[in-house]
Parts: sequence; structure tokens; C-alpha cells
Amino acid sequence: MNHASRVAWAGVTVGVLVLPLAAGSGFYLNVLNFIALYSMVAIGLSLLVGYCGQLSISHSAFFAIGAYASAILSTRAGLPAAAAVIVSQCITPVLAWGIGVVVLRLGGHYLAIATLSFTIIVEILIKEMTPLTGGLQGLSSIPPITLGGVALDSDFRFHFLVWPVTMLLFLFALNLVDSRLGRALRAIREGEVVARLFGVDARRYKVKVFVLSSVFASIAGSLYAHFVSFVSPAVASLMFAIDIIMVLALGGFTLLWGALLGAAALTVLNEYLTPFADYKRAIYGLALIVIMLFFPNGLLPGLRGAVGAILRAVPGTRR
Amino acid sequence: MILALEAVSKSFAGLQALAGVSFEMGPSEITAVIGPNGAGKTTLFNVVTGVFPPTGGAIRFLGKDIAGLPPERIVGLGVSRTFQHVRLFRTLTVLENVMLARHQHSRSETVACGLRLPRARREEADIRAAALEHLDLLGLSDQRDRIAPELPLGQQRYVELARALATEPRLILLDEPTAGLNEREADEFGEVLFRIRERGIALLLIEHHMRFVMKVSDRIVVLNFGRKIAEGIPAEIQTSPQVIEAYLGTDERD
Repeated sequence: MNHASRVAWAGVTVGVLVLPLAAGSGFYLNVLNFIALYSMVAIGLSLLVGYCGQLSISHSAFFAIGAYASAILSTRAGLPAAAAVIVSQCITPVLAWGIGVVVLRLGGHYLAIATLSFTIIVEILIKEMTPLTGGLQGLSSIPPITLGGVALDSDFRFHFLVWPVTMLLFLFALNLVDSRLGRALRAIREGEVVARLFGVDARRYKVKVFVLSSVFASIAGSLYAHFVSFVSPAVASLMFAIDIIMVLALGGFTLLWGALLGAAALTVLNEYLTPFADYKRAIYGLALIVIMLFFPNGLLPGLRGAVGAILRAVPGTRR
Repeated sequence: MILALEAVSKSFAGLQALAGVSFEMGPSEITAVIGPNGAGKTTLFNVVTGVFPPTGGAIRFLGKDIAGLPPERIVGLGVSRTFQHVRLFRTLTVLENVMLARHQHSRSETVACGLRLPRARREEADIRAAALEHLDLLGLSDQRDRIAPELPLGQQRYVELARALATEPRLILLDEPTAGLNEREADEFGEVLFRIRERGIALLLIEHHMRFVMKVSDRIVVLNFGRKIAEGIPAEIQTSPQVIEAYLGTDERD
């Protein structure tokens, strides 16, 4: 990670933590908390899809697994919320590894379809395993996370858990992509055979990054469950998986900063498009098609490239 | 012997690309594989480096049979290569391409890298230093931050060579290293190959450029339709009737 990126990270971290102290409580904090949750999932997916080039549509499933594991452990097994979050993060990697070893033998469209099928299976299981998951009713009265005797039951209090966690996961990802592992992932995306010829055990790394990115989604899911105190099969829906891909389409697939900006953009859009109700999905779908047609690397990098091209085309702006 | 092929065969859905090819290479030797297009030269490189397994035969590298091992194992044992059509990673800088090749000489895993633990940082510094050393050796240090496609083809071939060297190989396979280079550039490349050989690295190269082959090779192996039809020192090959016949009437351009 370069110096500028490090400074930017520190700046954003301080900014987002100081903001509620300066501006006080308000609905904006609720929006910010959802931006953080979306960001975590998107950062994880960016490592897998953007950096390693493995298109997976399973991130809503792992978000749901984290959410439901946490919900079940705290409401049915009586674990304290914080413990439920941690135990859940021990369950997800095992599941993700089991799935990853099998599906990552596939590539390209086949991998996308296999992970999509997994998402559908998880959604069905959640709906049907009523004694465990509450079925269509979902699970309610999930206790908030309590830290040092303080229940994180408001937007204001939750903010000081979810944002530090998000920024730490973000830092982890920034460090990772700029290490030997990051180079290995990028090499795999460009050509698995050539990467292997230079010593990268591609199959192992693909499973690794799949597990890692699933855990990012699962952490977000667990925190979400304790924050909203209610989970329903909606968290496992395919629509949510598409939402996260939309986040990357907006922010750029291989830009971790883009994942953060994309998450912010989509969360805000979700708020403003609420009056359109079901048409919201149609609007997203259309936007996704248009972005993929014109900016296959994502809207933000695409616009940056386009602006650069226009500036170069205007006489006199070039040195 | 550094490399010994024993009756290596490879067939693709009925097409016999290699049919019982055998030859040996001594350490610090430059061997050229020549032959008309479709003779099986690149297939030979692919089975030696593990891109796909041979259908039959043994490939002994430093005495160990490596036939059918995965590519990441074979490079770890000390075999590296370059490609006919340059295959540098296009989204990595020149330096990062060479750093990637240090993968098996470093060990930090996900957690160490993500947390930037001191040992991961030390290792990253070592990777960078080793990669820079190899770029320096080939006069590429000032190109380190450029991405590969920006460089002229000649320089890209040197970057591929630096990347191959960075794996610390005992043997490098070079697939048409002078394709697209002019005479002067080819001669310079030949000088670099001699310098690499002096470091105790054996070189196996596929080449169509005959003047270059005759100048740099210690031995030449001639393939035609997947079979070895001749082997010897350059002077022998130049006058071999079989070799002349194999080339007659065939299109030896790319």
C-alpha cells in the first residue's frame, strides 16, 4: 500500500469516528451504519472477484450464514451476543472451505452458476428449516452486542463498533493486495497457468481468498443481526447478492476504495429510491446492464478513464 | 545430466504431438530445439514445465522424474521458462512481475500479509531487493514502475528473462527468444544468454533464427512431426541430409 493510500485510510477512519461526536445523533448515522455493513461485504467480494477474477454470487449466502448463526446462537443457545459473533466466524470458514474446494474447480460462467445455486440452496434451507431458523417468520428479539456493559442498541453506539471493524477489515485488505498474496491473486486473474508456472498454487489461493471473502460477508451478517435485532430470509435473497455486485459495478471491481464508495452510493440510492418500491430493482438491473456495457471495470474507474480521455482530447490541456 | 528426456510422448485426441523423444542436457549447456512448425517444440516445453502431463516417458531433472508434476512444483525444483508470445502479467508493473516470481522463495501467509507483521514486511523488502537485483542485471531498473505492455518487445523479452531468473532456476526454457528482434538485438540477447550460462544455468531454447542458433548453441536437437530426427553439435546439424530434407518445401516462417 502506498503512502497516499495509508494517509487516506487514516483520514477516513478519524473522520468517520469523529463525525457523530461533532454532528450528534440523527438518521444519517443509520445510513452510515448500513454503508459500513455493505462495505465489508463489498471489500471481501472485491478481493475474490476483482483481484482474483473469480466471479462468485454467493456473498448474500455467507452474509445470511453469519446473520443466522449469530441469531441462533444468541437466541436459542443463550450465548452472549459478542460470543455469538465470534463463534459464527468459526463456522463460516469451515462451510466456505467445503464449498470453495468443490466449486472453485470451475471457472468463469460455471463458477458463477455454481455459486448462484449455492445461494439459492441456502435461501431455501433458511425458509424451510423452521425449527432452527424460524422459517419465513425469521428470528426476532436478537440481543444487541454488549461491550464493557454498554449495549450497542442505538445507531450512535453501534457506529463505534461497526466502523472500526470495517476500517480494520479494509486496512487488512489494502495490506493484502499489496503483498506477495495480492500479486499472486492478480496473477491468477490474468492467467492461472502462467501464475502456476511462477510458483503460485492457484487452486489453494482461490480457495483461501474465497474463505476470506466469505468471512468478511459473514462478519457483516453477524453484526447486522445484532444491530437490527431481527433476521428474515430476505438477507439470503439473490437480490442482495446482486446488490453487492452492483456496489462493485459502481465503485470498480479492482479498487478497494471503490468498494467503499460504491457501498455508500448504493446505500444512499436505496434510501432515495424507496418510493419506487419494487421498481427500484428494475432500475438497478438496467443500471447494471448499462454500466457493464460501457464500463466493464466499473462505473468509477470508467468515468475516471473517460474524463482523462476527454481532457487529453481537448487541445492545450496537455503539457 | 541436468535434464534427461526418455521416450517422452504426448498425444492430443489422436494427434501425436510428441512420439518417443529422448535427449540429454549437461549443466551449463545451451541446447536448441529446432524443427518446422508443428514439430512439437512448444508441446515439449509444456510437458517439461508441467503445463500438461506427457502421455508416456520419463523426464528427469537433476535425476528426479518430474513428468506429470504440477507446474508450481516443477518451478520450485528449478525449471523456469519464457514464452513465444510474451506472457507478462499486464496489470502488474515490471518490478511486480519479477517480484511475483519470488513467490516460492517467500512464505508469509494471509494473516501475516494482511496485518503487515514485521516478518512479512522484512520478507517483502527481501523480495523487492532480489527482484531489483535481477532487473539490474538485465539493465531494466529504470523501467521498474512501468507496466509490461508499455515496453518495446525487445525489453519485454528481457523482463520475461528477469522473471525466469528470479525463480532461481537451474534450467531456463526459452521459447523463440529472438522472435521480433532485429539482428543487432538478437546478437545482444545471445551475449546475455552466455552471461546466464556462466552462472551455472542451463538453457534450452526453441528458435527459428538459424544464424542465432548456430552461434549460441552447444548442441541442437531437431524435431519433425513429433520425432527427433537428428541431434548434434551445430556443424553436424548444418550438414545433416535429414535436417535439410525436413526443412525443404516446408514453410519455416512463423
